[in-house]
Parts: sequence; structure tokens; C-alpha cells
Amino acid sequence: MMTESRHSARWHDFGVPIVLACGALAILVASFLVAPQWLFVLQDIVAFGLFAVATNLLVGYGGMVSFGQAVFYGLGAYVMALGWQRYHAPFWLLFVLAPLIGAVAALIIGALALRTREWYFALLTLAFSQLFFTIANRWYDFTGGDNGVFGPMIPSTLAQPRHGLWFVLAVSFIALLLLWAITVSPFGLTLRAIRENPQRVEAIGVNLRRHQLYAFTLSGAFCALAGTLFVVHDQSAFPGLFQWTQSGEPILMAMIGGMNYFLGPFVGAIIFIVAHNYLVAHAASAWELILGIVLVLIVLFAPDGLLGLWGSRASGSHPFMLLRTVVAAMRSARRSR
Amino acid sequence: MSLDTVATLVFSGLTSASLLFLVAAGLTLIFGAMHIVNIAHGSFYMLAAFVVASLTQSMAADSTAVFWLSLLVAPILVGVLGMLTEVLVLRRLYGREPLLGLLATFGLLYLFEGIALIVWGGQYRSIPIPHALQGHVQAVGEAFSIYNLFVIAIAIAVGLFLWWLLQRTQLGWRVRAAVEDPETLAASGTNVRRLFTAVFALGAVLAGIAGAVTGPIESITTGLDAQILVEAFIVVVIGGLGSVPGAAIGAVVIGLFETAGVIWAPSFASAFIYVAMILVLIIRPSGLLGVTERVG
Repeated sequence: MMTESRHSARWHDFGVPIVLACGALAILVASFLVAPQWLFVLQDIVAFGLFAVATNLLVGYGGMVSFGQAVFYGLGAYVMALGWQRYHAPFWLLFVLAPLIGAVAALIIGALALRTREWYFALLTLAFSQLFFTIANRWYDFTGGDNGVFGPMIPSTLAQPRHGLWFVLAVSFIALLLLWAITVSPFGLTLRAIRENPQRVEAIGVNLRRHQLYAFTLSGAFCALAGTLFVVHDQSAFPGLFQWTQSGEPILMAMIGGMNYFLGPFVGAIIFIVAHNYLVAHAASAWELILGIVLVLIVLFAPDGLLGLWGSRASGSHPFMLLRTVVAAMRSARRSR
Repeated sequence: MSLDTVATLVFSGLTSASLLFLVAAGLTLIFGAMHIVNIAHGSFYMLAAFVVASLTQSMAADSTAVFWLSLLVAPILVGVLGMLTEVLVLRRLYGREPLLGLLATFGLLYLFEGIALIVWGGQYRSIPIPHALQGHVQAVGEAFSIYNLFVIAIAIAVGLFLWWLLQRTQLGWRVRAAVEDPETLAASGTNVRRLFTAVFALGAVLAGIAGAVTGPIESITTGLDAQILVEAFIVVVIGGLGSVPGAAIGAVVIGLFETAGVIWAPSFASAFIYVAMILVLIIRPSGLLGVTERVG
């Protein structure tokens, strides 16, 4: 187990930016080839993939199970939608403002929620999710209540599906690179150490709560950014974006793909959204049932997610095998120099 | 505010508190004994309500008799479902990362909701109040619904039974010991696995009782599980995870809070209970009657 996780961490050090670039390139190429309705599915995947990875910074890396990340996702979306429609603010301003508001909200909520631990923390963040849901749902004068905010809320050029996809892709790509840099930075390593053994990390003089609060704030900012991408994709904002089930979805995606892998949540998002789109079109009533069965099976038999299944297969026809070999060769070449 | 308005307010608050207590008591027992935050707990409540709806609808001839029967059948059915859940899924997760239990029950929430959608569909169902429990009782110049009194009585009876079970029986002694220290209990010869199965089934039955009596009060739909779950979480957290008396206090607090909210700020009533929970946790991070958490 020990060597295995060390092994995967090592190839991820190199693999993540490469896989990200390849993936972005593939989606870019696909944007010229696929049918128009797939452009929307791809936008959805890319935006939600960012949301899932940003949530996993807390859940997978920090060991803090937050059921409240939808607060920041929803905030990002509402800042965008209301700012454009109500205050006629420029798109770019809102686009910068949303993650900042997400960060400030996360700093405040995090400072309160991190007074508790473990289950109490999970349930307290869930309560914040529901509080924001209720406010968005009922404050008709400001948020439009349960009708939500609809209609044009992005520059018309972005409303064109292909341009929208390019924009969402570019933003998400840069954000994921930043998130990745955070996870491999000393801060990211400390965060993982806190998850593994909080007492020991505290004993060597690390301010535990401050690190957790930073992680909560960063995650909140990136979740809000993902929320703005949702608006580009869906051109709406509605109370459901704040609900605790919405907070749960990125956690489910992380679990499907693998929480211990940086791109695990993204892989989970691809599978989740493709499966959801397919099933809703072909067997709508079976979606919940199948999702439930898959989740239970993953917990029981593949708790490290799908990437975990791949990673644990030591040799053989590994889809990333070629990439791995190349990376390993590059490393040894550099070392011998 | 006049005395009778206060009485009506309190009465309606206590009715929802009764349902909340039944669901939250099971949730807190399960958490206390096996340290699982059972996200699928609301599903037991919802499924029991659907079972009662089906039974009373398909055998409409003598609805009262069928209603009494289904009050018995529905909790037993979900109790069996709870037992299966524990044996087939949760049992494999003890001693592993706590997060896995939470995720497994999250999966079960979707699984049970999927079953409900396929069996009962998405439309709303309502159950009429059975004949014997229709009507009102007059007191302090106000009319109190007999059915609501019945629900409150059931909650009190179940609460007393739970107290007796936990404080006065061998089984209860073992459950309390499991909450305190499962390792020592296992070492002293108790079959902890079987005990956990029993506790989980008992928790499901409690949620099932609440679901079975809720039909005439709430319209039954697939969204019921997530709705009651969140409120039950709040009750349990306010009372302190693992504490049954805490669940009772939490339920009454939330029931009254919610009703007060409906009167004073109708649109934001549910915001009140979230604020209440956030305040309680910020002041007392382990809830009102919660013990300091163990690690793990």
C-alpha cells in the first residue's frame, strides 16, 4: 500500500500537467468534430470537473468532508447572473469578482465551521448550504426566489456553444494547473500530512487550523470560479445550486474517480455527467437506482476509485502505460545527466 | 399574543417535533453505536410512508383497519430493509476509513430513491386521516386535531419504550456500552456484529414508524427523504450526536423554532432552524448533550 501510493504520487508529479494538456487539446479538437448538443455536455463536464477537483482539495487532500461547497459554487453563479442582469456590470469584472467573493465567504464560513471537527464539521457545512438555499429560494426581491435568474447573462459571443466551450476550457485548464501547483507545494503536502496525522503535524509546530482555513478559502474561491463557468454553460442561476445534494455531487464524483488522485474527481465528473445524460435520455427513472448501485459497489470494492483500480494494476495493458514509460525514461535521463 | 394562539403554536410545533424525534432517535442511536452518519436514514422514513400509501390505497374498503395494519407492516418492512443494509453493505466497512460509511449511505440514498421512483413514480400521494382519528378536541378555546394528538402520543410512547429499552434491559446495557467502548464490549463476550445489526434495524424501525404516521399530515413524494434527513441531522447535532435524550430536546427545540418561524417570518422559516444549528454548534461544538468526540 505504502509503495503503491508513493509510486502513484511520483508519476502524478509529472503526469498531471501532461494529461491536462492532452485532455484540453483533445477537447479542443473535439469541439470541431462533435454534434452541437455535445458541446454543451463538454462544457458541463469541464465546469463540473473543476468544481469536483476544487472540492477534493478539502475532502481528498485535507480530509475535511464539507457538504457546503455548493455555497461557493452557487455564489459564483449568482454573482455572475445578478451582476450582469441587475447591475449591468462588465463580464470581466464579475468574472474576477466572483472568486473573490467566494474566497471571502469561505473565509468567514470556514472560520466558523472549523471550530468543529469531523462529523460536526460535515453537518455544519451542510447547514450553511441549506441556509443559502433557503435565502436564495425565498428572497424574491433580490434573487428572484425559486424562479431563479434566467436569460442572457454573458457576452453574446460566449453564448455561442463553441466559443463558450473554448472559454470554459481555457479557464478550467489554468485553474486546474493552479490547483495542481497548490497540491504539490509545501502547503499541499502539509495539508496531506494533516489528513494523515493531525496530532503529529501539530506537534512539529504547524498551525493546524490556519492551514485548514487556507485550504477552505482556496477551495471556496475555485468552487466560485466553477460556478461562473456554470453560468457560461447554462445561462441561469437557481436556488438548487446551493442545496446540500449539490454539495454532495462533487464528493460523489471524487469518489467515483478516486479521491487520492488529483484528476480522480475530474474523471469522476466525466463518467457521472456522460452517464447522467445518457440515462436521462434513455432510461430516466433508472438514473438514481444505477447511480446508487454503482456508488455502493465502488465503496465496497474500489474505495480508491477507478483510478485506484488502474493504479493498483502493476503491469499489463495500462492505458497510461506508454505515458508512464515516457515519463520514467525522461526522469532517468535527467538524473543521469 | 393570546393564550390560545400560543397553545395552537405549541401544539403544531410539538406535532412536527414528534416526527422529528422518531427519525432523529434512530439516527443518533446508529451514530452512537457504530459511528456511521446514515445519510440513507430519511429513506427509511420515505419508504415506510410509501408502503402505507400503497396499502391504504389498494385496500380502500375499510381504510381504518388497513391503516392500523399498515402502521405495523411498514415499520417492520423497513426494519428488515435496515437489517439487510447493515449485513450486506455497512458490516464490511467497520474499522475502515469513517468516510467510507458516509459515502456508502450516500449511495444507498440514491439507491432507495431509485427504487421509490420506479415502484411509486414521481407523483404526490396523500393518505386520508383514518375514521377513528378524525375530528378535534376542544381545549382553552381552541380545536386540537385528534390525529396530531395521536402522533404526539406515539412519539411519547416510543420515547418511553426506548428509555426502558436502553436503561432497563440487557440489550440496552450492551448498546450503551457499545456507544462508550465497543472494543471492551467485544472483549467481554458480546457479539458486537449482531448487536450492530439490531441497532441499525431498530433505527430503521423508528424512522419507519415516523414515516408510517406521517401520511395524513404530509403529502408523500420522493423528495421526502432528503427533507426530513436534513432536519433530523439538525436535531441530532443540536442535541449531541449519539444522545437519545438530546434528540428529544433537539426535536422540541426545532419543532417550536420552526413553527415560530412560520408565524413571524413565513418565507424564511427554515432559515431559522439552520441559524439555530449554526449558533448552537459555534457555542457548543459537540451539541447540547454531546460528549467530547472520540477520534476515529
